[in-house]
Amino acid sequence: MSLPRFEYRAPGTLADALAVRREAGEDALVMAGGLTTVILMRERLARPRLVLSLSEIEALRRIEANGALSIGAMATHAEIVRSPAVAAVAPLIAEACGHVGSPAIRNMGTLGGNVCHADSASDPAPALLALDAEAVIAGPRGERRLPMTGFFQGTLTTALGGDELLAAIRIPRPAAGTASRFVKYTATTAEAFATVTVAMTVVKDAAGACRSARIGLGSVASTPIRATAAESLLAGRRLTREAIDEAARAAADATSPSSNNQGSAGYRREMTRVWVRRLLEDIAAR
Amino acid sequence: MTRHLSMSINGEPHEFDAADHRTLIEVLRDDLALTGTKDACRQGVCGSCTVLVDGVAVRSCLMLAARCQGKSVTTVEGLAAGDRLSALQQAFVEAGAVQCGYCTSGMLIAATALLESNPSPTEVEVRAALVGNLCRCTGYAPIVRAVLAASRAGAGHPVAAVGS
Repeated sequence: MSLPRFEYRAPGTLADALAVRREAGEDALVMAGGLTTVILMRERLARPRLVLSLSEIEALRRIEANGALSIGAMATHAEIVRSPAVAAVAPLIAEACGHVGSPAIRNMGTLGGNVCHADSASDPAPALLALDAEAVIAGPRGERRLPMTGFFQGTLTTALGGDELLAAIRIPRPAAGTASRFVKYTATTAEAFATVTVAMTVVKDAAGACRSARIGLGSVASTPIRATAAESLLAGRRLTREAIDEAARAAADATSPSSNNQGSAGYRREMTRVWVRRLLEDIAAR
Repeated sequence: MTRHLSMSINGEPHEFDAADHRTLIEVLRDDLALTGTKDACRQGVCGSCTVLVDGVAVRSCLMLAARCQGKSVTTVEGLAAGDRLSALQQAFVEAGAVQCGYCTSGMLIAATALLESNPSPTEVEVRAALVGNLCRCTGYAPIVRAVLAASRAGAGHPVAAVGS
């Protein structure tokens, strides 16, 4: 089926895009890479009067590492995967973006579009949570920053206001010696949605104990989530078998998965425990 | 709203009017009669509509035509030099990599993009590059063999440039 009729606008600056967004309000659908948005329109789940494409705003494609890593909302997954700046500061996010869809999808899809869709099954979102990333949000009163934990508000819902646009994702430079791990566990093929996705960062002290940990989980709740109870259990402890098992159980307890063709709720909860344990064991062994 | 678009398609300049809501594949197939690009899942999953835009493989079913203003589009019709197949197309023929043919143009475009960026891929790299292109006939093995053979024969360049 062809798409419903709309007017296409692709301003060249963020300021012009904000003006279009303010003026069009609910009538506008913001398009980043144009994957989900086109499918939503084809399925008639969205019938906007106006499509506001961010594709011509060069500044939103920029990836920079001046202290913190800044990834423009319109940087594609493919650009993030091959970015030297991302590799230098936060290779975890490149690894996660490398799991999105297939090569042509990674060429089209953007990090900003991915997180604004706020799908619980987002591949990069758990990595962003594990990296303490912030959303850099542009609005009529200037820029504000919001931790990604507060950005994801509910099923397919973000904290973005109707007159705001996501400009970039900001990732602080991890402490020296931070170990990071990522797994997208799928029941079928690599292209499928995940049964569970686990991303984690662990800072170890000189004696090998865990100073702090961050665990991001995908596909096991209505939004991507942090396993904060598990993180607290690990802070200040040696990564013993007992500590790892306790944390893995706490991470599984933080989930509220639904049953679908990627696995039953019980299976997904159990796989959360298994993969958190395996990734922690892997970090402990290094 | 309808707008006037200009873009290069298979090396030829094209100008036409298209309504804002039309996708690249609709313009290619319905307006320009370039029916080599196949329309199947319309969700970006199957890969049969894959084309190159400014040398990058994309799904033409999800790409708005308006977004291709001023860009360079390559479809399967642009791979051969006249009657001479590209090394990759020739390898598909020789390896029996085509059965029903519906996935073939997308496979050729995805593999052309691979060989442009990585002229000597391993089998694992070939399979990773084609993960988003579904084939329900061949079982993939002859397609992978064809891409590897094309890589040895000089990648996606026209046979004329390689053989002579």
